[in-house]
Amino acid sequence: MLPMIDRRRFLSVGALTATVPGFLAKTGSLLADDKSLANKERVLVVVQLAGGNDGLNTLIPFRDDAYYKARPKIGIARTKSLKIADDFALHPEVGDLRKLYDAGELAVVPNVGYPNPNRSHFRATEIWETATPEKDVLTGWVGRYFDAECRGVPSPMLGLQLGEKPAMTFAHPKGRAVTLTNPSLFKWDDATGQAMERLNRVATTDNPQLDFLQRTGNDTLSLSRKIQDALKDGKSGAEYAPFNFSQSLKVVAQMIAAEVPTRVYYVSLGGFDTHTTQTGRHAGLLQELSQGIGSFVADLKALGHLDRTLVMSFSEFGRRVSENEQQGTDHGTAGVMFLAGGKVKAGVHGSRPDLSDLDEGDLKFKTDFRSVYSAVLKDWFAADASKVLGAEFKHLPILA
Amino acid sequence: MKPTVTWDVAAASHLLSRTEFGGTPKRSEQLAARNLHDVVAALLDEAKAAVPPPKPGWVKEPWVNTERVYPETTPMERMENHRKAGERQTRERNELRCWWLDHMIRTPAPLREVMTLFWHGHFTTEAKRMFVAQPLYTQNAATRTHALGNFRDLLEAVTLDAAMIMYLNMEDSDAKKPNENFARELLELFTVGIGNYSERDIKEIARALTGWTLDAPPGTAKRPTVADASRTFCRDGLVPTFVKEKHDAGEKTVLGKTGKFGVKEVLGIVAAHPATARFVSTKLITYFGASDPRNELRDRMAAKFGQTKGDIAATLAVLLTSPEFFAKESRGTLIKSPVHLLVGACRLLNLDVTATPSLAQVTAAMGQELFNPPNVKGWPGGRDWISSGSLAVRYHLPEALFDGKEPAGFEPIATDRNFALPADEKARKELIARIQNFDKKRREERKKDGFKVTFDPAKALDGAVPEKAEALVAALTTKLFVVAPRPDTTAVLTEVVKDLPAAERVKLACRLILTTPEYQLA
Repeated sequence: MLPMIDRRRFLSVGALTATVPGFLAKTGSLLADDKSLANKERVLVVVQLAGGNDGLNTLIPFRDDAYYKARPKIGIARTKSLKIADDFALHPEVGDLRKLYDAGELAVVPNVGYPNPNRSHFRATEIWETATPEKDVLTGWVGRYFDAECRGVPSPMLGLQLGEKPAMTFAHPKGRAVTLTNPSLFKWDDATGQAMERLNRVATTDNPQLDFLQRTGNDTLSLSRKIQDALKDGKSGAEYAPFNFSQSLKVVAQMIAAEVPTRVYYVSLGGFDTHTTQTGRHAGLLQELSQGIGSFVADLKALGHLDRTLVMSFSEFGRRVSENEQQGTDHGTAGVMFLAGGKVKAGVHGSRPDLSDLDEGDLKFKTDFRSVYSAVLKDWFAADASKVLGAEFKHLPILA
Repeated sequence: MKPTVTWDVAAASHLLSRTEFGGTPKRSEQLAARNLHDVVAALLDEAKAAVPPPKPGWVKEPWVNTERVYPETTPMERMENHRKAGERQTRERNELRCWWLDHMIRTPAPLREVMTLFWHGHFTTEAKRMFVAQPLYTQNAATRTHALGNFRDLLEAVTLDAAMIMYLNMEDSDAKKPNENFARELLELFTVGIGNYSERDIKEIARALTGWTLDAPPGTAKRPTVADASRTFCRDGLVPTFVKEKHDAGEKTVLGKTGKFGVKEVLGIVAAHPATARFVSTKLITYFGASDPRNELRDRMAAKFGQTKGDIAATLAVLLTSPEFFAKESRGTLIKSPVHLLVGACRLLNLDVTATPSLAQVTAAMGQELFNPPNVKGWPGGRDWISSGSLAVRYHLPEALFDGKEPAGFEPIATDRNFALPADEKARKELIARIQNFDKKRREERKKDGFKVTFDPAKALDGAVPEKAEALVAALTTKLFVVAPRPDTTAVLTEVVKDLPAAERVKLACRLILTTPEYQLA
């Protein structure tokens, strides 16, 4: 912020304050004044479990002796796991997810993957985010959805990610998404803001990087007001655990309740790369996941926005079936996805993994993850899924 | 016609912006008066000859684990030892960040640090996944030693170093069940790159690397710890040690070669692989921001890398003297990393600065926490540095540098949950309170020194502060920008400066300059 004396001088410099560009003034007041743009449409919250979540210890095939044989040290005991279906039980630390399941608000998809699985964190993450395993593409599946279906929506933040590294899910040449670590960063005093607005006014040059910086600068400055407006009440309908993932979901809930023009939110929970002594760490992560989503659903229900909200979790891969020598698990293939919200068809949508038919120690997937995306696009957003995904995928009845 | 380099003041300024966190107009003029090849050779020689910074006081040889748990250690003692060790780690990590940042700001041979930072993003270790701080230092020292030396030597130095052995789980990898983590990243991220190896190569390399662990220096008397304690509580030392009995001595086939390989043979094979020469060259081209659409520069660098058996300085010299590096598409098009942005500002404005944890947090908030890259792939760089979120942090940089104030929101919204909390409500609340208290203390510890930065207008302009507003703005933008200022930038800065008393002009102009799109570019 500028020191007092500078601020006064700034305000006396007419040229600095008088010429806030017209379109900036418009976007700046978009949220505060123009309720016609308030978002009453459905929203999706993508939850990334980064590092490769161990699906077999999340959704446990507790009747399968092969599971306990492959995991003598880290397997989850039958007696401790939370049974949810004939063949499946949940990890003991996901009690809140179990409650959602019982309340008809949680769908579970086991054994999700894709042909020729990749075991590199980066490539596998790209595959899930681009929904294009066959080749390298530079657009994310939600980025393509925005481009195909949301052209008319006047919002620079159709996608909003709380995190550090922009997720490829939103990637598109006509990017409509924003990534931020901490919303309180978007505060500066008016005089500084106005000077910066003028310094960032777009004047196209022959340097594409300079133009990119001007455009992003512009977006940042117009966003700052919107975000502050959405969060100023700080209303919350539930208690959240005081941890990063839970608190990020709390912010997302506030934004949804403030009806900001965002369609897809993206939040990450990292640390799932459990190569060594995974039991305690994995339990902590699953507890955070479960309590975070539990609070989020309760919050939105209390605020009356659960019916327009869908949560979907994914992870770049599951882990190898057999535990390793260090009481951990190495990179594997198929994993488990969760969908939560008011309009899901509760249940486990798929059969239990066949541990007697493995591909070099790894699970063979049974449901293509693009079938899940397809259901979200078609049944949640009423979008043309095959256009966004580039092909038709088997329809999964996971949404009401 | 073969393109050539027009070597002039602008070209020298471009070279300095990429190799030395930016250069003054005076230095650019001096360099432009000499021959490009001599200039680059001299830059590389100075960087190679640079004296490394003295090691931080807390680095211990040999390192002693104060958390070992013996059969007679009581649970209370164990907790207390763990708590004290945790506090020490936090302090040491903070000091380490400051130690490096300080050196980058002060060093007379910045190219050595620019290259150390390059390797820091290549051979990564995440501080958040390390339970001790000392390996972060030893890895940094190893990359600095070999930063412009031989790639094979560098690869071995970082492989057989405590940081890598701990970070990518070589520590307990034995013949019975080889851990594949390091083997995978060695191929994917450190040497040949994706597309040049198979899953089979990973498994074979993992076998070849079995048997390495960390131990006390040879000959140290050992006192047995409790059975089944996790590594944190039983590790005896940080000396890479080969345990023959745990090594898989059988035959392996790695990238088409077969033999009873151990770690050195494997490193030799991957370092000499032609794909490694291309992979490392491509990464250098990206890092230094040269435009090479037809991969011609890459191929010339890879050829030099091959001929010299991995001489990094010789390979870099090809890049820094190339027409591609000085082409229009390469000028003013590299988005500064947060470290570059901060260190460059401190150096060019001649700020009187001592690095404190608060200063180090500025780069962290912008997306580049030293010693703690986001993952094993390091920082992707380029446009990934810039999002609305990170740009908002960049807009707060002047508060840190000119007001000595840390803006709100420089840390994530809250801390991470590292273990499951008990179901019992009372116990859970107590534990949460303890975690929050620990986190609060960690933040307070980090912020206790505040900022130690002083701005002097005369020093910022190297002694000559122009009186006329237009001239002042021109002097500052010439010094601080590598691209021409847009008309609006000059107009706004001039208007602001005109209405201010002389004493305030330079500082206010500088704070606005730091938030311009132009300043983000090198």
